[in-house]
Amino acid sequence: MAVSRPTAVPADRGTPAGRGTTEGPGFPGPDELDDATLAARAGEGDVDAFEELVVRHQEPVYRLALRMLGNAAEAEDVTQDSFLAAWRGLPTLRAQAAFGGWLYRLTVNRCLNVLRARRPVAELDPATLRSTRPDEQPEAAAESGAQVAALSAALQLLTPEQRACWVLRELQGCSYEEIAGIVDATAGAVRGRIARSRAVLAEVMRPWR
Amino acid sequence: MAVSQTSEGYALPCGRALEALWEDLEAGTAGRPGSHEQDCPHCLTALSGLVALRDATRELTAAPVAVPPRLTGRIMAAVRAEVRRTRLLPLPAAGLEPGGEAVISEQAVAVVLRFAADGVDGVRARRCAVRPRDPGQAPDGMPGWVDVEMTLAIRYGISPGEAVLAAVRRAVLAAADARIGLRVARCDLLVEDLWSAPAPGED
Repeated sequence: MAVSRPTAVPADRGTPAGRGTTEGPGFPGPDELDDATLAARAGEGDVDAFEELVVRHQEPVYRLALRMLGNAAEAEDVTQDSFLAAWRGLPTLRAQAAFGGWLYRLTVNRCLNVLRARRPVAELDPATLRSTRPDEQPEAAAESGAQVAALSAALQLLTPEQRACWVLRELQGCSYEEIAGIVDATAGAVRGRIARSRAVLAEVMRPWR
Repeated sequence: MAVSQTSEGYALPCGRALEALWEDLEAGTAGRPGSHEQDCPHCLTALSGLVALRDATRELTAAPVAVPPRLTGRIMAAVRAEVRRTRLLPLPAAGLEPGGEAVISEQAVAVVLRFAADGVDGVRARRCAVRPRDPGQAPDGMPGWVDVEMTLAIRYGISPGEAVLAAVRRAVLAAADARIGLRVARCDLLVEDLWSAPAPGED
Protein backbone atom coordinates (compact mmCIF):
# COMPACT_ATOMS: atom_id res chain seq x y z
CA MET A 1 0.00 0.00 0.00
CA ALA A 2 1.34 3.36 -0.98
CA VAL A 3 -0.37 5.38 1.72
CA SER A 4 1.10 5.28 5.18
CA ARG A 5 -0.69 6.53 8.22
CA PRO A 6 0.63 8.12 11.38
CA THR A 7 -1.96 6.18 13.39
CA ALA A 8 0.41 3.25 13.69
CA VAL A 9 2.90 5.48 15.48
CA PRO A 10 1.15 7.05 18.48
CA ALA A 11 3.99 9.46 19.23
CA ASP A 12 3.59 11.28 15.92
CA ARG A 13 0.51 13.38 16.15
CA GLY A 14 1.71 16.36 14.13
CA THR A 15 0.13 19.75 14.42
CA PRO A 16 -3.62 20.21 14.88
CA ALA A 17 -3.83 21.61 11.36
CA GLY A 18 -2.54 18.34 9.97
CA ARG A 19 -5.01 16.15 11.75
CA GLY A 20 -6.54 13.60 9.48
CA THR A 21 -7.28 15.78 6.52
CA THR A 22 -4.36 15.23 4.19
CA GLU A 23 -4.74 11.65 3.02
CA GLY A 24 -7.39 12.42 0.48
CA PRO A 25 -10.74 10.80 -0.09
CA GLY A 26 -11.31 7.27 1.05
CA PHE A 27 -9.13 7.48 4.13
CA PRO A 28 -11.10 9.34 6.76
CA GLY A 29 -8.99 10.83 9.54
CA PRO A 30 -10.16 10.46 13.14
CA ASP A 31 -11.84 13.87 12.96
CA GLU A 32 -14.10 12.64 10.16
CA LEU A 33 -15.34 9.54 11.98
CA ASP A 34 -18.57 9.30 13.96
CA ASP A 35 -18.51 8.92 17.74
CA ALA A 36 -19.67 5.29 17.63
CA THR A 37 -16.80 4.27 15.34
CA LEU A 38 -14.28 6.16 17.47
CA ALA A 39 -15.70 4.64 20.66
CA ALA A 40 -15.44 1.12 19.22
CA ARG A 41 -11.83 1.68 18.22
CA ALA A 42 -10.90 3.37 21.49
CA GLY A 43 -12.46 0.45 23.34
CA GLU A 44 -9.91 -1.80 21.66
CA GLY A 45 -7.04 0.43 22.74
CA ASP A 46 -6.77 2.86 19.81
CA VAL A 47 -5.34 5.91 21.57
CA ASP A 48 -5.72 8.20 18.54
CA ALA A 49 -9.41 7.40 18.26
CA PHE A 50 -9.80 8.24 21.94
CA GLU A 51 -7.89 11.49 21.56
CA GLU A 52 -10.37 12.58 18.90
CA LEU A 53 -13.22 11.86 21.33
CA VAL A 54 -11.42 14.00 23.92
CA VAL A 55 -10.96 16.87 21.47
CA ARG A 56 -14.62 16.63 20.51
CA HIS A 57 -16.16 16.38 23.98
CA GLN A 58 -13.80 18.14 26.36
CA GLU A 59 -15.45 21.54 25.97
CA PRO A 60 -19.01 20.46 26.89
CA VAL A 61 -17.70 18.18 29.66
CA TYR A 62 -15.53 20.93 31.14
CA ARG A 63 -18.38 23.44 30.84
CA LEU A 64 -20.75 21.08 32.63
CA ALA A 65 -18.22 20.49 35.42
CA LEU A 66 -17.46 24.20 35.73
CA ARG A 67 -21.13 25.13 36.03
CA MET A 68 -21.76 22.40 38.55
CA LEU A 69 -18.69 23.05 40.69
CA GLY A 70 -18.14 26.80 40.22
CA ASN A 71 -14.41 26.24 40.40
CA ALA A 72 -12.04 25.97 37.43
CA ALA A 73 -9.38 23.80 39.07
CA GLU A 74 -11.91 21.28 40.32
CA ALA A 75 -13.67 21.30 36.96
CA GLU A 76 -10.41 20.48 35.21
CA ASP A 77 -9.72 17.61 37.61
CA VAL A 78 -13.21 16.21 37.15
CA THR A 79 -12.90 16.48 33.36
CA GLN A 80 -9.64 14.57 33.34
CA ASP A 81 -11.01 12.00 35.75
CA SER A 82 -14.16 11.50 33.67
CA PHE A 83 -12.23 10.88 30.46
CA LEU A 84 -9.90 8.47 32.22
CA ALA A 85 -12.93 6.60 33.53
CA ALA A 86 -14.29 6.57 29.97
CA TRP A 87 -11.03 5.12 28.66
CA ARG A 88 -11.19 2.38 31.28
CA GLY A 89 -14.86 1.69 30.73
CA LEU A 90 -14.94 1.73 26.93
CA PRO A 91 -13.87 -1.91 26.46
CA THR A 92 -17.08 -2.96 28.19
CA LEU A 93 -19.40 -0.31 26.74
CA ARG A 94 -21.78 -2.17 24.48
CA ALA A 95 -23.81 0.75 23.11
CA GLN A 96 -21.10 2.84 21.49
CA ALA A 97 -23.70 5.11 19.92
CA ALA A 98 -24.57 6.32 23.42
CA PHE A 99 -21.02 7.51 24.12
CA GLY A 100 -21.95 11.17 24.70
CA GLY A 101 -24.70 10.47 27.23
CA TRP A 102 -22.54 7.94 29.01
CA LEU A 103 -19.69 10.46 29.28
CA TYR A 104 -22.06 13.08 30.73
CA ARG A 105 -23.19 10.54 33.26
CA LEU A 106 -19.60 9.80 34.33
CA THR A 107 -19.00 13.55 34.65
CA VAL A 108 -22.15 14.31 36.63
CA ASN A 109 -21.43 11.47 39.04
CA ARG A 110 -17.94 12.81 39.68
CA CYS A 111 -19.26 16.34 40.18
CA LEU A 112 -21.83 15.04 42.66
CA ASN A 113 -19.08 13.27 44.60
CA VAL A 114 -17.05 16.48 44.80
CA LEU A 115 -20.07 18.50 45.90
CA ARG A 116 -21.16 15.96 48.49
CA ALA A 117 -17.67 15.96 49.97
CA ARG A 118 -17.95 19.68 50.60
CA ARG A 119 -19.61 21.27 53.59
CA PRO A 120 -23.23 20.08 53.46
CA VAL A 121 -25.68 22.61 52.09
CA ALA A 122 -28.81 23.12 54.13
CA GLU A 123 -31.80 22.76 51.87
CA LEU A 124 -33.23 26.21 51.27
CA ASP A 125 -36.88 27.01 51.44
CA PRO A 126 -37.63 29.49 48.69
CA ALA A 127 -40.54 30.81 50.73
CA THR A 128 -38.27 32.20 53.42
CA LEU A 129 -35.22 32.91 51.36
CA ARG A 130 -33.87 36.43 51.47
CA SER A 131 -31.77 37.63 48.62
CA THR A 132 -28.10 37.50 49.42
CA ARG A 133 -25.39 39.62 47.91
CA PRO A 134 -24.06 37.08 45.47
CA ASP A 135 -21.95 39.69 43.72
CA GLU A 136 -19.55 39.61 46.63
CA GLN A 137 -18.71 35.96 46.20
CA PRO A 138 -15.17 35.67 44.87
CA GLU A 139 -15.61 32.61 42.65
CA ALA A 140 -18.26 34.33 40.60
CA ALA A 141 -16.38 37.56 40.20
CA ALA A 142 -14.46 36.22 37.22
CA GLU A 143 -17.66 35.95 35.18
CA SER A 144 -18.42 38.88 32.99
CA GLY A 145 -21.56 40.72 33.93
CA ALA A 146 -22.94 41.15 37.40
CA GLN A 147 -26.14 39.28 36.63
CA VAL A 148 -24.28 36.23 35.39
CA ALA A 149 -21.99 36.41 38.40
CA ALA A 150 -25.03 36.54 40.65
CA LEU A 151 -26.52 33.48 38.98
CA SER A 152 -23.25 31.50 39.21
CA ALA A 153 -23.08 32.27 42.91
CA ALA A 154 -26.75 31.48 43.41
CA LEU A 155 -26.19 28.02 41.93
CA GLN A 156 -24.02 27.27 44.95
CA LEU A 157 -27.15 27.62 47.09
CA LEU A 158 -28.73 24.55 45.51
CA THR A 159 -28.18 21.01 46.70
CA PRO A 160 -25.84 18.96 44.46
CA GLU A 161 -28.76 16.98 43.01
CA GLN A 162 -30.81 20.10 42.29
CA ARG A 163 -27.87 21.81 40.69
CA ALA A 164 -27.10 18.81 38.48
CA CYS A 165 -30.66 18.73 37.18
CA TRP A 166 -30.91 22.48 36.69
CA VAL A 167 -27.56 22.78 34.89
CA LEU A 168 -28.33 19.85 32.59
CA ARG A 169 -31.74 21.27 31.75
CA GLU A 170 -31.10 24.99 31.44
CA LEU A 171 -27.45 25.19 30.41
CA GLN A 172 -26.93 21.90 28.54
CA GLY A 173 -30.42 21.72 27.04
CA CYS A 174 -31.11 18.10 28.06
CA SER A 175 -34.67 16.79 28.20
CA TYR A 176 -36.21 15.60 31.49
CA GLU A 177 -35.92 12.01 30.27
CA GLU A 178 -32.25 12.42 29.36
CA ILE A 179 -31.52 13.98 32.74
CA ALA A 180 -33.34 11.16 34.50
CA GLY A 181 -31.03 8.70 32.73
CA ILE A 182 -27.94 10.68 33.62
CA VAL A 183 -28.66 11.25 37.32
CA ASP A 184 -30.45 7.94 37.93
CA ALA A 185 -33.79 9.37 39.00
CA THR A 186 -37.34 9.36 37.66
CA ALA A 187 -38.41 12.10 35.26
CA GLY A 188 -40.87 13.23 37.95
CA ALA A 189 -38.10 13.63 40.52
CA VAL A 190 -36.04 15.57 37.98
CA ARG A 191 -38.99 17.86 37.30
CA GLY A 192 -39.41 18.48 41.03
CA ARG A 193 -35.74 19.31 41.55
CA ILE A 194 -35.76 21.74 38.65
CA ALA A 195 -38.93 23.41 39.93
CA ARG A 196 -37.37 23.85 43.35
CA SER A 197 -34.14 25.18 41.83
CA ARG A 198 -36.10 27.66 39.75
CA ALA A 199 -37.99 28.92 42.81
CA VAL A 200 -34.74 29.46 44.72
CA LEU A 201 -32.90 31.03 41.81
CA ALA A 202 -35.78 33.32 40.83
CA GLU A 203 -35.94 34.63 44.37
CA VAL A 204 -32.20 35.31 44.49
CA MET A 205 -32.21 36.90 41.04
CA ARG A 206 -35.20 39.19 41.57
CA PRO A 207 -33.16 42.22 42.73
CA TRP A 208 -31.29 42.06 39.41
CA ARG A 209 -34.39 42.78 37.45
CA MET B 1 -41.52 35.75 46.97
CA ALA B 2 -44.10 33.93 48.97
CA VAL B 3 -44.62 30.40 47.75
CA SER B 4 -45.96 27.27 49.35
CA GLN B 5 -45.10 23.77 48.38
CA THR B 6 -47.87 21.75 46.79
CA SER B 7 -47.98 18.40 45.08
CA GLU B 8 -47.55 20.22 41.77
CA GLY B 9 -44.56 22.24 42.92
CA TYR B 10 -44.69 25.76 44.29
CA ALA B 11 -47.87 27.80 44.45
CA LEU B 12 -48.05 31.57 44.84
CA PRO B 13 -50.52 33.00 47.37
CA CYS B 14 -52.95 33.63 44.51
CA GLY B 15 -52.98 29.90 43.79
CA ARG B 16 -50.93 30.10 40.60
CA ALA B 17 -48.20 27.49 40.25
CA LEU B 18 -44.73 28.95 39.76
CA GLU B 19 -44.01 26.36 37.06
CA ALA B 20 -47.10 27.40 35.13
CA LEU B 21 -45.95 31.00 35.24
CA TRP B 22 -42.51 29.90 34.01
CA GLU B 23 -44.05 27.98 31.13
CA ASP B 24 -46.07 31.03 30.13
CA LEU B 25 -42.91 33.11 30.28
CA GLU B 26 -41.07 30.62 28.09
CA ALA B 27 -43.97 30.56 25.64
CA GLY B 28 -44.03 34.35 25.58
CA THR B 29 -47.63 34.52 26.79
CA ALA B 30 -47.01 35.78 30.34
CA GLY B 31 -48.34 39.23 31.23
CA ARG B 32 -50.60 39.60 28.18
CA PRO B 33 -53.41 42.12 28.47
CA GLY B 34 -56.31 40.61 30.33
CA SER B 35 -54.19 37.85 31.86
CA HIS B 36 -54.42 37.07 35.56
CA GLU B 37 -50.82 38.05 36.26
CA GLN B 38 -51.26 41.50 34.77
CA ASP B 39 -53.08 42.60 37.91
CA CYS B 40 -51.78 40.08 40.43
CA PRO B 41 -49.04 41.49 42.68
CA HIS B 42 -47.85 37.98 43.63
CA CYS B 43 -47.50 36.94 40.03
CA LEU B 44 -45.79 40.19 39.05
CA THR B 45 -43.24 39.81 41.83
CA ALA B 46 -42.59 36.21 40.89
CA LEU B 47 -42.42 37.12 37.23
CA SER B 48 -39.70 39.70 37.84
CA GLY B 49 -37.56 37.03 39.49
CA LEU B 50 -38.22 34.55 36.70
CA VAL B 51 -37.39 37.11 34.02
CA ALA B 52 -34.13 37.99 35.77
CA LEU B 53 -33.35 34.28 36.02
CA ARG B 54 -34.16 33.69 32.37
CA ASP B 55 -31.99 36.60 31.19
CA ALA B 56 -29.04 35.58 33.36
CA THR B 57 -29.42 31.97 32.21
CA ARG B 58 -29.27 33.02 28.57
CA GLU B 59 -26.21 35.13 29.25
CA LEU B 60 -24.52 32.30 31.14
CA THR B 61 -25.27 29.85 28.31
CA ALA B 62 -23.78 32.21 25.75
CA ALA B 63 -20.75 33.09 27.89
CA PRO B 64 -17.64 31.50 26.41
CA VAL B 65 -15.87 28.97 28.59
CA ALA B 66 -12.11 28.94 28.26
CA VAL B 67 -11.03 25.31 28.30
CA PRO B 68 -7.62 25.11 29.98
CA PRO B 69 -5.07 25.08 27.15
CA ARG B 70 -3.24 21.93 28.18
CA LEU B 71 -6.32 19.91 29.09
CA THR B 72 -6.14 17.52 26.10
CA GLY B 73 -2.47 16.87 26.79
CA ARG B 74 -3.11 16.20 30.46
CA ILE B 75 -5.92 13.78 29.71
CA MET B 76 -3.96 11.92 27.04
CA ALA B 77 -0.86 11.69 29.24
CA ALA B 78 -2.98 10.02 31.91
CA VAL B 79 -4.55 7.72 29.32
CA ARG B 80 -1.20 6.69 27.85
CA ALA B 81 0.13 5.99 31.32
CA GLU B 82 -2.52 3.31 31.69
CA VAL B 83 -1.07 0.11 30.40
CA ARG B 84 -3.79 -1.87 28.78
CA ARG B 85 -2.94 -5.49 28.36
CA THR B 86 -2.89 -6.50 24.77
CA ARG B 87 -2.40 -9.79 23.07
CA LEU B 88 0.92 -10.24 21.29
CA LEU B 89 0.98 -11.97 17.93
CA PRO B 90 4.07 -13.86 16.73
CA LEU B 91 5.49 -12.63 13.45
CA PRO B 92 7.10 -14.99 10.98
CA ALA B 93 10.62 -13.71 11.40
CA ALA B 94 13.08 -14.67 8.74
CA GLY B 95 16.70 -13.98 9.62
CA LEU B 96 16.28 -14.02 13.38
CA GLU B 97 18.66 -16.02 15.50
CA PRO B 98 17.25 -19.35 16.58
CA GLY B 99 15.18 -18.80 19.69
CA GLY B 100 14.65 -15.15 18.79
CA GLU B 101 11.05 -14.14 18.40
CA ALA B 102 9.43 -11.14 16.76
CA VAL B 103 6.02 -10.14 18.09
CA ILE B 104 3.57 -7.38 17.33
CA SER B 105 0.64 -6.23 19.44
CA GLU B 106 -2.87 -7.06 18.32
CA GLN B 107 -3.69 -3.36 18.67
CA ALA B 108 -0.98 -2.33 16.23
CA VAL B 109 -2.19 -4.87 13.70
CA ALA B 110 -5.80 -3.73 14.21
CA VAL B 111 -4.84 -0.13 13.45
CA VAL B 112 -3.28 -1.14 10.13
CA LEU B 113 -6.18 -3.40 9.14
CA ARG B 114 -8.84 -0.82 10.09
CA PHE B 115 -7.02 1.76 8.06
CA ALA B 116 -6.97 -0.59 5.07
CA ALA B 117 -10.73 -1.16 5.40
CA ASP B 118 -11.31 2.61 5.71
CA GLY B 119 -9.77 2.96 2.25
CA VAL B 120 -12.83 1.33 0.69
CA ASP B 121 -15.32 4.06 -0.17
CA GLY B 122 -18.07 4.42 2.42
CA VAL B 123 -16.55 1.95 4.87
CA ARG B 124 -15.55 2.67 8.44
CA ALA B 125 -13.98 -0.12 10.42
CA ARG B 126 -14.95 -0.38 14.06
CA ARG B 127 -13.92 -3.40 16.12
CA CYS B 128 -11.10 -5.53 14.86
CA ALA B 129 -9.97 -8.73 16.56
CA VAL B 130 -6.88 -10.53 15.33
CA ARG B 131 -6.17 -14.06 16.56
CA PRO B 132 -3.07 -16.09 15.77
CA ARG B 133 -3.76 -19.38 14.07
CA ASP B 134 -1.97 -22.45 15.29
CA PRO B 135 0.48 -23.61 12.58
CA GLY B 136 -1.15 -27.04 12.74
CA GLN B 137 -4.39 -25.43 11.53
CA ALA B 138 -2.74 -23.13 9.01
CA PRO B 139 -3.33 -23.66 5.27
CA ASP B 140 0.35 -24.48 4.71
CA GLY B 141 1.22 -25.63 8.21
CA MET B 142 3.50 -22.63 8.70
CA PRO B 143 3.44 -19.91 11.36
CA GLY B 144 2.37 -16.33 10.61
CA TRP B 145 -1.32 -16.90 9.90
CA VAL B 146 -4.10 -15.02 11.68
CA ASP B 147 -7.90 -14.94 11.78
CA VAL B 148 -9.48 -11.51 11.55
CA GLU B 149 -12.92 -10.49 12.79
CA MET B 150 -13.99 -6.96 11.96
CA THR B 151 -17.20 -4.97 12.38
CA LEU B 152 -18.03 -2.22 9.91
CA ALA B 153 -20.22 0.83 9.52
CA ILE B 154 -21.26 1.48 5.92
CA ARG B 155 -22.37 4.81 4.50
CA TYR B 156 -26.11 5.02 4.08
CA GLY B 157 -27.05 4.47 0.46
CA ILE B 158 -24.25 2.04 -0.30
CA SER B 159 -25.41 -1.52 -0.59
CA PRO B 160 -23.66 -3.47 2.15
CA GLY B 161 -23.48 -6.41 -0.23
CA GLU B 162 -20.79 -8.72 -1.48
CA ALA B 163 -19.02 -6.13 -3.64
CA VAL B 164 -18.17 -3.89 -0.69
CA LEU B 165 -17.30 -6.80 1.57
CA ALA B 166 -15.06 -8.35 -1.06
CA ALA B 167 -13.25 -5.03 -1.49
CA VAL B 168 -12.74 -4.76 2.27
CA ARG B 169 -11.50 -8.33 2.46
CA ARG B 170 -9.01 -7.71 -0.37
CA ALA B 171 -7.74 -4.53 1.31
CA VAL B 172 -7.36 -6.23 4.69
CA LEU B 173 -5.50 -9.23 3.25
CA ALA B 174 -3.19 -7.03 1.20
CA ALA B 175 -2.36 -4.73 4.13
CA ALA B 176 -1.73 -7.63 6.51
CA ASP B 177 0.67 -9.18 4.07
CA ALA B 178 2.43 -6.11 2.67
CA ARG B 179 2.61 -3.93 5.77
CA ILE B 180 3.00 -6.46 8.58
CA GLY B 181 3.96 -9.78 7.07
CA LEU B 182 0.95 -11.66 8.42
CA ARG B 183 -1.26 -13.85 6.29
CA VAL B 184 -4.99 -13.89 6.89
CA ALA B 185 -6.48 -17.36 6.98
CA ARG B 186 -9.98 -16.18 7.68
CA CYS B 187 -11.56 -12.71 7.53
CA ASP B 188 -15.03 -12.40 9.05
CA LEU B 189 -16.78 -9.12 8.35
CA LEU B 190 -19.95 -7.92 10.05
CA VAL B 191 -21.84 -4.79 9.02
CA GLU B 192 -23.27 -3.48 12.29
CA ASP B 193 -24.27 0.08 11.46
CA LEU B 194 -24.97 2.65 8.76
CA TRP B 195 -23.69 6.19 8.83
CA SER B 196 -24.61 9.21 6.75
CA ALA B 197 -22.20 11.84 5.59
CA PRO B 198 -22.87 15.33 6.97
CA ALA B 199 -24.10 17.90 4.50
CA PRO B 200 -21.38 20.21 3.16
CA GLY B 201 -20.48 22.86 5.69
CA GLU B 202 -22.03 20.93 8.55
CA ASP B 203 -19.66 20.02 11.34
